[in-house]
Amino acid sequence: MTRTILIVDDHPSFRASARMLLEAEGFDVIGEAEDGASALRAVEELRPDVVLLDVQLPDIDGLEVASRLTENGSGPAIVLTSSRDLADLGLVRERCPVRGFIPKAELSGAALEALL
Amino acid sequence: MFGVTDVALILTSDHTNLRGAVAVLGLLIGWGFIGAGLFTWARRPDNSLGSLMVATGFAWFVGGLSGSDVPVLFSVGALLGSVYLVTTMHTLLAAPHGTLSQGDRRIVIGGYLLVTVGVIPLFLFFDPSTQCEDCPENVFLVEDSETAVNIVGTAINLLGIVVIALVLRSLVRRWRRATRPERRLYAPMYGAGVALMIALIGQLSLQSAGSEGNALDMAFVISLIPFALVPYLFVGAFVRARFVQGGAVGALMARLGDAQSAGGLNEALAEALDDPSLELVYWLPEAHRYVDASGRPVDLPEHDPKRAVTKVERDGECVAAIVHDATLPEVHEHVKAVGAAAALALDNERLDAQLRAKVGELRASRERMLQIGLEERRRLERDLHDGAQQRLVSMALNIRLARAKLNEDPLAAEQLLASAGSELESALEELRELARGIHPAVLTDRGLATALETLANRAPVPVELGELPHERLPEAVELAAYFVVAEALTNVAKYSEASHATVQVERDNGRVVVQVADDGIGGADPGRGTGLRGLADRLAVLEGRLEVESPQGNGTTITARIPCG
Repeated sequence: MTRTILIVDDHPSFRASARMLLEAEGFDVIGEAEDGASALRAVEELRPDVVLLDVQLPDIDGLEVASRLTENGSGPAIVLTSSRDLADLGLVRERCPVRGFIPKAELSGAALEALL
Repeated sequence: MFGVTDVALILTSDHTNLRGAVAVLGLLIGWGFIGAGLFTWARRPDNSLGSLMVATGFAWFVGGLSGSDVPVLFSVGALLGSVYLVTTMHTLLAAPHGTLSQGDRRIVIGGYLLVTVGVIPLFLFFDPSTQCEDCPENVFLVEDSETAVNIVGTAINLLGIVVIALVLRSLVRRWRRATRPERRLYAPMYGAGVALMIALIGQLSLQSAGSEGNALDMAFVISLIPFALVPYLFVGAFVRARFVQGGAVGALMARLGDAQSAGGLNEALAEALDDPSLELVYWLPEAHRYVDASGRPVDLPEHDPKRAVTKVERDGECVAAIVHDATLPEVHEHVKAVGAAAALALDNERLDAQLRAKVGELRASRERMLQIGLEERRRLERDLHDGAQQRLVSMALNIRLARAKLNEDPLAAEQLLASAGSELESALEELRELARGIHPAVLTDRGLATALETLANRAPVPVELGELPHERLPEAVELAAYFVVAEALTNVAKYSEASHATVQVERDNGRVVVQVADDGIGGADPGRGTGLRGLADRLAVLEGRLEVESPQGNGTTITARIPCG
C-alpha cells in the first residue's frame, strides 16, 4: 500500500531533496509544510499516514507539534528528523509519542519503513 | 581709670559702710566685666556680648558714684544705679551669640526704660536724708514726699519683679532649647544668671515689703555673688572651648586612621568636636553639588542661625564642607584645623568611593562582554546550522539518490549530481563568509587598508575610500574598524537605498576615527537590530564609542572612535 506522507521542515532544499528521495522509494508525498502552524493545518486537511517532522521549526517546537498531533490518539505516524544528531537533541524517549528519529543525512525509504 | 576714681570716691565716702570691702569688691566686679567684655570684643568683634559686658562694667561704676559725697555725682549714681542690672540681663539673654529674639528685645527695652525713665519720678521726690544721716543731697529733688516715694518705689519694685521674672522665664526657655555644645559651655553662666534673677526677685520683694537695713543689705550681697561671676564664667567657657577644641584636633588625628567605613569620618569629626549634629559633606565637582558619605545630595543651610558651614579646602579648591552647630566657638580656626587634618582622610574616602564606582562599572562592562561573547557564539552556531549544514544534508540525499538511479536513469542521476555540486559550492561560499565574519584572513595578512578595499569592492554601491592608514594598528583596533565598515556597508546595501557611500579612517589624538557615510534615506536606529547594537557592544569592549547620525531622509553617517595606544 502506498503510504501518504507530509514533509515538515523549514529548509526548502531539504524538502525538495526529501520529496525526490521518498517518491523514488514509493512514498506518496502529498504535502509540505514549513512551520508548525501550517503543519497542523496540513495534517487536518490532508490526513497523511506519516509525517516527517523536523524538530527545529521556526515557530513551535517540533516536539510540541508532535504531541499535539497525537493528542487524540488517532493521528498520523510521526517520524522526527534533524540535521543535528540524536545526542545533541537530548530527546526524552518516553515523552514523545513518535515512532522514531532519523538523522536527515540518513533519510531513506528503507529507514522509514523500518520505523513504521 | 574709672574704676580707680570710683575706689577713691568710695574710700572717701562718708556714708558708705564697710568702705574697704565695698571698694575692693566694686573694683573687682567692675574690672571683671570690662576685662571680660574687652576680651570677648577682641576675639569676636561681630558678637555684641563683648560691648555689652564692657557697658555693664561702666554702668556698675556709674552706680558706684553713689558713694560720692558730691551731690551731683551722688544723684546721678543713685539715679542710674540699677542700669547695670539691666545690661547684665541683656548680656545673659543675648548669650552666646549676641543676638536677642523679638520677645527678649521687648523685655530688655522695658527693663532699660524702667531703670532710666521709670526711676525719674522716684528721684523727684526722694530725700535721701530721710534714709541716712550723712548722705549728700539729691539734686533732682523737687519736693520731699514720702508717700510719693513709697508709691512710686513700690510700683517700680513690682514692675522690676515682673521684668526679672520674664527674663528668668526666657533664660529657662533658652536653656531647654540649647544644643549640647551650647549647654556644655554655658551651663555655669546660665546657672549664675538664673541665680541672679532669683536673688534679685528676692531683693525687690523684700524692698516692696518694706524691710530695710540688714536684711536688705544681705539680699544685696547675695545677689552680688552670681552677678560678679557672670563675666568670669563666660570667659571661662570661651577659653575652655578652645582647649577642648585643641584637644579635639589631636584626638581626631589619632582616630583618622580608624575611620575605615564610609561615614566613619563624619562620626569621628562629630565626636571630636562634640557636636552630634555635625555633618560632613563632600563636594563633587562633576555633579556640582554636595553629597554625604553615601552619595545622597545635600543642600547647605542658608539662613539658619543655629547652623554654620565651614568649608574644607585642599590646594585652594573646596573639597568638602562641615555643617555644624553655630555655637562651636573659635569656629573658623579649629574647625578648619580639624577639617584640614581630616582632608587627608577625606581624600581617601573620596577616592575610595570613586574606586568603588569604577569597579562597579568594570563589573557591569565585563558582564556585558561575556554576554556579547555568548551571543556571538550562538549566532555562529545558528548560521552554521541553517546554512552550510543544511546544504550538506541536501547534498548527501542527492548523492544517495543519484547512486540509486545511476543504472536505471542515468540522466536523472546526472541532474542530481549537478545540483549536489552547486549545493556544495554554495556551502563553501557560506563557510567562507562565516569565516570572514569571525576573522577575515585578508585583515591579518594584508592589513586594514587592503581589507577595507575588498569590502568596498564587494559592496553593491560605489564606495569611495578616503586616506587610509598604511601602518599596522593593534590587532583588536583593526578588527573593530573592519567590522564597523563591514556592518555599515551591509546596512547601506540592505536598508539605505543609497547610491553612494564614503569610508574614512583617521588617526586623531590617540584614537582611530572610522567614518562611513551614505546618501540614502537615513532613519537608522541602533535599537532596531540592524547590527549597530552589536557594533556598539564590540566597541564598548575596547572603550570605544559609536555615533549614529541618521536624520530621516538625509543619509546616514556612522562614526566610531576607538582609543588606540
